[in-house]
Order: sequence, then C-alpha cells, then structure tokens
Amino acid sequence: MDNHEPARTSEMIRAVPAALDEYRCPLCGACFATRAELARHYEGEHPGVVAPVVVALMLNGESRQVLIEPHWTLQRALQFRLGLSGTKHMCDRGACGSCTVILGGRPVLACTTLAIECEGMEVQTIEGVAADLRWKPLVDAYCRWDAMQCGYCTPGFLMAAKALLDRNPHPTEEECRAALAGNICICGTYPRHATAILEAAMLMGGEGAIPVSEDGGGADA
Amino acid sequence: MPDYDGVNGLREEFRVVGSRNLPGRLSQALATGVAKFGLDYVMPGMLHAKFLRSPYANARVVSVDATAARALPGVVEIITWEDEEIRALGSRGERFGTSKPWLDNIADREGVEVAVIAVAESEDICEEALRALVVKWEVLPHVTDLIKGSREGAPVIRPEESTPPSFGRPGTVNNDFPKKGNVYHVELISGDIVEGFTAADHIVEYDMYTPAFAAHLPNPSGSIAWWSKDPYQGDGPNLHIEGAVREKHAISVMYGLPDEKTIQEGLFMGGKYCDWGLRKSQEITPLLAKRTGRPVRCVNTREEMYDFLMNERYLHLKVGFMNDGLITAVEDISVADHGSRGSSSFGNVGDLTQGPFNTMKCKNVAQRMDVVDSNRGIMYVSGQHCPFNWDSLTLGIHLIAEKLDMDPIDVAKVNLHGPASQDDPNPVPSFERCIEAGKKLMDWDWHKAGVKVLPDGRMHGMSFRYQMCPRHSGVVYKCKLEYRDGVVHMPTQGPLFGAYVVEANAMVVAEELGLRYEEVSIDYDYREPFRAFGGGSDGTTASAWAMKECANLLKRQILEAAIDYAENPPQPAMFGPPPAEPGPFKGLKPEDLDLVGSKVVIKAEPDKGVPLSQASGKNLFATYTGRPPLSVWSTGPMGKVLDVMNAAFCEVAVDTDTGEVEILRFGAVADPGLVLRPISLESQIDQVMYFSQGCQLLEDFIYDERTGVRLNNNMLDYKKPGMLDAAPVEREFIETRGSNAVYGASGISHSLANTHLVIIAIQNAIGAWVDPPATPDKVLRALGKA
Repeated sequence: MDNHEPARTSEMIRAVPAALDEYRCPLCGACFATRAELARHYEGEHPGVVAPVVVALMLNGESRQVLIEPHWTLQRALQFRLGLSGTKHMCDRGACGSCTVILGGRPVLACTTLAIECEGMEVQTIEGVAADLRWKPLVDAYCRWDAMQCGYCTPGFLMAAKALLDRNPHPTEEECRAALAGNICICGTYPRHATAILEAAMLMGGEGAIPVSEDGGGADA
Repeated sequence: MPDYDGVNGLREEFRVVGSRNLPGRLSQALATGVAKFGLDYVMPGMLHAKFLRSPYANARVVSVDATAARALPGVVEIITWEDEEIRALGSRGERFGTSKPWLDNIADREGVEVAVIAVAESEDICEEALRALVVKWEVLPHVTDLIKGSREGAPVIRPEESTPPSFGRPGTVNNDFPKKGNVYHVELISGDIVEGFTAADHIVEYDMYTPAFAAHLPNPSGSIAWWSKDPYQGDGPNLHIEGAVREKHAISVMYGLPDEKTIQEGLFMGGKYCDWGLRKSQEITPLLAKRTGRPVRCVNTREEMYDFLMNERYLHLKVGFMNDGLITAVEDISVADHGSRGSSSFGNVGDLTQGPFNTMKCKNVAQRMDVVDSNRGIMYVSGQHCPFNWDSLTLGIHLIAEKLDMDPIDVAKVNLHGPASQDDPNPVPSFERCIEAGKKLMDWDWHKAGVKVLPDGRMHGMSFRYQMCPRHSGVVYKCKLEYRDGVVHMPTQGPLFGAYVVEANAMVVAEELGLRYEEVSIDYDYREPFRAFGGGSDGTTASAWAMKECANLLKRQILEAAIDYAENPPQPAMFGPPPAEPGPFKGLKPEDLDLVGSKVVIKAEPDKGVPLSQASGKNLFATYTGRPPLSVWSTGPMGKVLDVMNAAFCEVAVDTDTGEVEILRFGAVADPGLVLRPISLESQIDQVMYFSQGCQLLEDFIYDERTGVRLNNNMLDYKKPGMLDAAPVEREFIETRGSNAVYGASGISHSLANTHLVIIAIQNAIGAWVDPPATPDKVLRALGKA
C-alpha cells in the first residue's frame, strides 16, 4: 500500500503560503503588492465591479489568507486559490456531500458555503485529516475495505466519517449510515463505508481490525 | 470451456488470487484527496473556456454578434463555429451516427454545445461573455416524446439524415426500409412466427416501458491543456493534457501528435462505466492553449452532465407458449430512442439479436423496431446498464408463470437451451447451480400475485431473473513486465476508472512468479502501452490472461538468468556492494527451477535457493501482445451458445395505503468462473443493484413538453439512491471455471444490472403493473387509489 499520503498531504498544506504575496486582478491579470493598490486599480479600471477581498482562515490548524471574489464558495477558494483539490466539486448545490469540510467543528458543504462567511474560522479539509496520523486508521480502513471505486466522492465520505467519530468515537452501524446519508456515491459503494468506519473506531480505540468472515463481510457490519 | 490455451490455466492452488482485503494501490491517494481528476487541475496563468449551450431543444443559430462580449474585461477570445481552426477539428473519440462538424450552428438538444466558445480569465467572465452575446436563434420543432415523434405528421427534425443507426447492429438485421419522418424501421425475423403462434396453447401480450437513465459521471468532464518544448521529450512541441484520461490517444490523433508527445500524468478518470465518449470540454483545450499561449481549462457543469446510460424504449410483446410453459413464438415490437446526433445505438439496433431471445429454445422470434430521431439527449457508447433489453423476456417468463400457476424459475428452466445450441436439451450447469444457490439464499417460495400479506400489513412480492455473462474478449493487450534490480515491475499507463483492474493483474503476476502481491511494483507511466481495459470484471479476466502469459515469459528468463549467474558469477565491481552470492544452480536447466515464496528454488529441493532479489544482476523484460481465446459467448452466431450465468432475485414490501415500495433485499448468485479479487466483484454487484434500484424506483428525466427542455438536470430533482435508500444485497459466487479467460474466469460484466426485477416483484406484490420508476404516486394509481 502506498503510505506516502500523510507526507504528501502535509506538503500540500505547507505549500499554501501563510500570507498573500501578490494581489492579482481576476479581470485583467494585473498584479499589485497590496490589497489597497488592487482596490484602487478596480476604482480606476473596473468601476462598479466589486473588488476581491481577503479572507483569513484557520486552515488545517494553520493561519492562512486567501484573496477571493465575494461570491466565491469555500470549495472554489480551496481549489483555485489554495491548491487543495481534495474538496470535490460534484453537484454544486449541496446535494451530494463530495465537498464536505469541517467548519468550526461541524461538517458543512463547501459548495454552498461562501468563503467570505468563513472569516476567522477553523476549516478542516481532507488534506488536514490525511496529514494527521491520528486519522490514519480511518484512511487505512477505507482502503482495506475498498470503500471506494472511482474515488471521486471518497474524500467527502471520509470527512463525514471523521466528523462522526469526532462526536461519537464508538458509533453503531446505524449511526454510521445516518451520518453518511448526505453523501452520494454514484458507484454504489454504500455497504462498505460502515464496515470501514467501525474498523477505524476499533483501531483508534485500541482494539484490533475487523476480522474477515468467510463470506467476505466484516464482522456484523 | 476452461482456460486450456494459456500457461497454468488449470492451476489448482492459489496463494494470491482470490485473496481479500488487498487494498487498491492508489486507494490511499483517492481517499486522501491527493488523487487529481481532470477538473481538479489548476495552473498558474490559466485561462478558462466555456461553450454556448442551447436553451432550446431544437434550434439553429442564425447569427451571433459578439461585440459586447469581446469588450468585457477579462475576455480573451470569442470563437465561433465559422473559425477556420474550429472547422478543421474532428473528433477521434468514440462517436456514432452521421458524420457532422465538430462544432456547428445546429443545436439538437437543450444544453448542447453550439456555435460559440468564450475564453476568459475566469469561468465567471466566460459566463458573462456568453450572456452578452446577441444570438439570433431559429427555433425549430422538437421531438422529446417518442410516440408522438414517430407518428405520421410529426415534425421531421432531421430530414437530411437517412443512414440507419449502425453501432452494434447485427448483420442479419433487415434495415432496408426507407426512413419515414423521424423513424428508421428495422426488423430481425427468425423462424416462422405464424407457425409458432399457431402451435401455442396460450398467448400473452404486454406493454413494457424502459425509461432513460442518467450516466451521471461523478466528476464533471473537462480538461486542462498547455504546450511546452522540452529537450528531454525530443524535438517539437509537447501537449500536456489532464482530463482526457482513457482517450489520450484520441486527443493525440485529433491534434496530429505521436502518442509519446501527448503527456497526461493524471490517472483518475472517475466513474465512467461504458461511457467512453469524449465531451467537447475534453477536446477543445489543446487548440485554445495553442491560440492563447496559456494553459486553458474547460469543464462542464453538473447540469451539463446528464447524458444517457440507457435510452428510452417502449415495447409491446406477444408471447405464445405451451401448457408446460415452453415458448413457441415471440414478437417484440419496439419504439426506441435514436437520440440527438452522435448518440450510440446500443439501446436500439445494438440490442437486436444479442438479447435474451437467444437463450431460449424457441426459434420463432420477430423483432420489429422503430428507431426515432429525437431531441431528448445523447448516449455515449453503451447502456452499461442492462444491455440488450434482457428483461423483456424476464417479464414474459413471469407472465407465463402467473398464467400457468408455475414457479417462474421452472418456466425459465423449460425454456433455457443447453450450452451447445438452441437444440441442446441439456441444462446449463452453471444455471442450475445458480438457481439452487439462489433459492436457498432467498428462501424462495414463489406465490401468485397479490396474495401474500406481511405481518405489518404490507404486500409481499418476489421476482427472479437470469442472464448470461457476455465477456468482452476482443481486446488485444500489450503487456510488459520487467525484472529490474531484483524487483518485478508491471508498468502501465492506467488510467483508473471505478474498477480494480490493475490490482487484479498484479495479483496474477504475483501468483505466477511466486511473489507476494505487495512485491509486484506497479509503475504508472503515460508512455507505457499496457491498459487493462475492456469491461469491468470481465475485461479484468481478459487482460489478466494476457498478463499471465507475459509473467510466464518473464519467469523463464529469470530462471535462465539465475542459472547463468550461478555459472558465470560477476567479478566484484570497483564501486558498490559486492555481488550477491549465486544460487546453487550450476549445471541445472530452467525446468529444474521454480519461483516459490519470493525465491528461486530447485524444484526437487525447494529449501535450496536464493531470494528473487538476488537471483541475477541482469535487467530483464518480457512482453506479450495478445488476448485470450474469444469468449464462448461470442463464437459462432452471436449469443447462440451460452457462457457462464447468473441469477438475481428481489423481494419487496409494498404499502398499499401510501404506495411506498421497500426493497427488502436483492439476491445475486453469479458464476464468474473464478473470483480473482473478491471485493471488486462484490462491489460490481452492489453497483449494478444500486443502478437497478435507482432506475426502477427513483430516476427519471422530466421534460417540458412544450419546449422540450429537461427540467431536472440536477442532483436535487434527479434522485440517485443514497446511503439510506440502498437496499441490502446478498451475494453468492459459484466458481465453475468454465470460461477461457484467466484460470477459467469470465467476470460478470454488467449482466446483473436490470430494468424490471423490482417492477416484477411489485407486480407480484400488488397484482398490477407499474412502469418504472415506481414512485408512490404511480403505485397508488396502479391500485386505483389516485
């Protein structure tokens, strides 16, 4: 198994600059050293258009700034400004859970959350969870049980699972299913998620992995 | 026919193949968001592109005034269909129907790309530019209702086209009928249909409806492209493209580049299940990047991704049968969707002859089909979901059972011919075993319709179907394996769709070379020719057959090299560690040695040997180009001989007060020949059952009849099953090793996917037919309560 991902995701998080080093005009590409200069540029060159704003986030435990247009969603800010593409764009209207992040301790849908509303808030993305070795059992269990096929929706499921385990370290199978009810997997991997989460819960609680039963299922999951 | 032709095809002991919980090699990347799909790529200085999309179901762009759009800040280019470079483009991906320009001013479905491309600094600006266009449309009459569109006097939407649909069309089809209005008529007649009905003791007639069903790729299609010159890549420009995935070669051809000059490092293509078509957003970026000198990204929205996985079809069936249930004649009169231009003809003519009728003893079959041009939508390549309209026969079997008060399984048995031909009276062994296992799995106790009430007052229904597995076996695989610095490498270009094909190939390599699964290094490299495509589990068994042959060629070389190393040990080098101690192989022949437990050993004395990593200092490689023997299914006239089988079951509870249907459980018993990677196979079954549940209970396209506009192209109004909807699936595998792909495996393809298994169970519960999707309002209507 490729176990380099915690290191790779840590690297991705470190690659996000702590502070903005340039202020680029999204309309014409002109670059400025300060937000004030960019604002003046808008007044002169693009009158009547709302200038980009700077939003401060506590992103995966690190203080970060991002320059966005006020109507941008958090998903868009993460992908296009911060280089974190694990928060996936699928339905774009809060129906599939692929863009799930944890905002202020609660799972939210980044495609229907305006980035500007997240000012000063703690944002956890899949990259942050993957870089945190405490959550490796959850990632490993997802892989061991093939709780993914094409994998596009998987980070969103993992974030919903992480949020569940944050508030309930020993969920039942029913609680796992309920926690993931807002996530859509087009490949139909639903039966395996609860098994993976239950195994992760056992491992994180110091118990062993779920034994593989003869029919291939995991325990009673 | 087992795997007689290949090396070790009849292997009896398996260490790796069949093992559970061997994680996908890239699962960590997928789970942690490290994996990038086409739309995930963001490049510095990147531009964005968007197409004008038609708001009309059928229209022509008469003129476009782009003056205001071009004047918007951030707009880089507005390109129209009349542009010379656009006119020179030609798609090289999977495409069907009459040849047409890559982009023109004809919009034959709502939402189709038409006439204009906007290139700008952001997607928002592209959209603003498209809104600023002054487009003069000529709105034309449309057809979204197939029945109305097939009538005389209906507006003719493509009068200039007269070539009948052809993809998948059997050669024996009679399509020698002039097109009438929007309708191509085709017929396939075998035997004597009149005689067949005359011989029948009973005749049943029924109507059946199969709605269209969305392909619904999870990751919206799109690409980003840029050009570079890099001396390490040789002379001339290199095209970098991400998001073309499986169709990288088609992009190379489209832009006149050799494959090695088209660089695509991304491996992840998302859930493309038999939807291989390239969208324009995947094809246009290289041209735009060349024109602008900057990376260009073009990605569809979710709303632009509602293409068909299955076409709409109406059927009227007439079935004659004897008192013992033996079918004597079948007449299938269908109206099927031809879709918009470029739509695949699986689902219409591609279904003919390959369907369920060839598993029947009955030879008197008439299939008459009207294929109707429409503005409903497009289907790329195939109905991954239940090709060949198998359930038209499933429905008939249940109707016969109802009429004769027979168990439908017994009706199926009476009508299923043996493995050799339609005259073979012997049972299909695999079928018998699947049925027996399925009966036990489901506690099968069939009852007539509308008679069984559950303790909670709901009505109980159950259904059964069988299908054969059509293994894809025509793909040639270019395999390569390397032994380099003591490690076995399996290089492949990928990419990865939602099946663990590469992993199963690595398992076979490990099996043949006496290695652990983890010891086979899978090297992803876009320059490598090996792609393990050709279907899901069935393509896996075919590619793995070729890889098995390749592994044995490498094995022979390793054994020869180990002997050579023993007989001619290398001199110590000036630098580096001393050479490894050779094995005790002097004077031996390759036949005397084996690879066992990650070692080269002497067969007669298996405790004598050396680790494979020290067997030789040589770098070795083996190649094998080929495919397994054609599947039994595809030899001779298509479908006349059966391959391995499966049976599926469904049990429902219907609340006759609310119309709600609960699938209590699905049962699936399949004979994949041999299970290579169990979780993959189980996942495939879960997936097709999930598809089946969706299209029979939830999913439907809703059109505004007046405008032809689709009203529910979003994930709130087009409902896919979620975690709490998904029905329990109980599965069992029977391994007869009866196929001629690797070790006698065949996979299960998508044959368990169905369109009417749930619908039949509902009928068995309430005694009334409900067209899919069986939403509560429809169930109540069928009960006369709404």
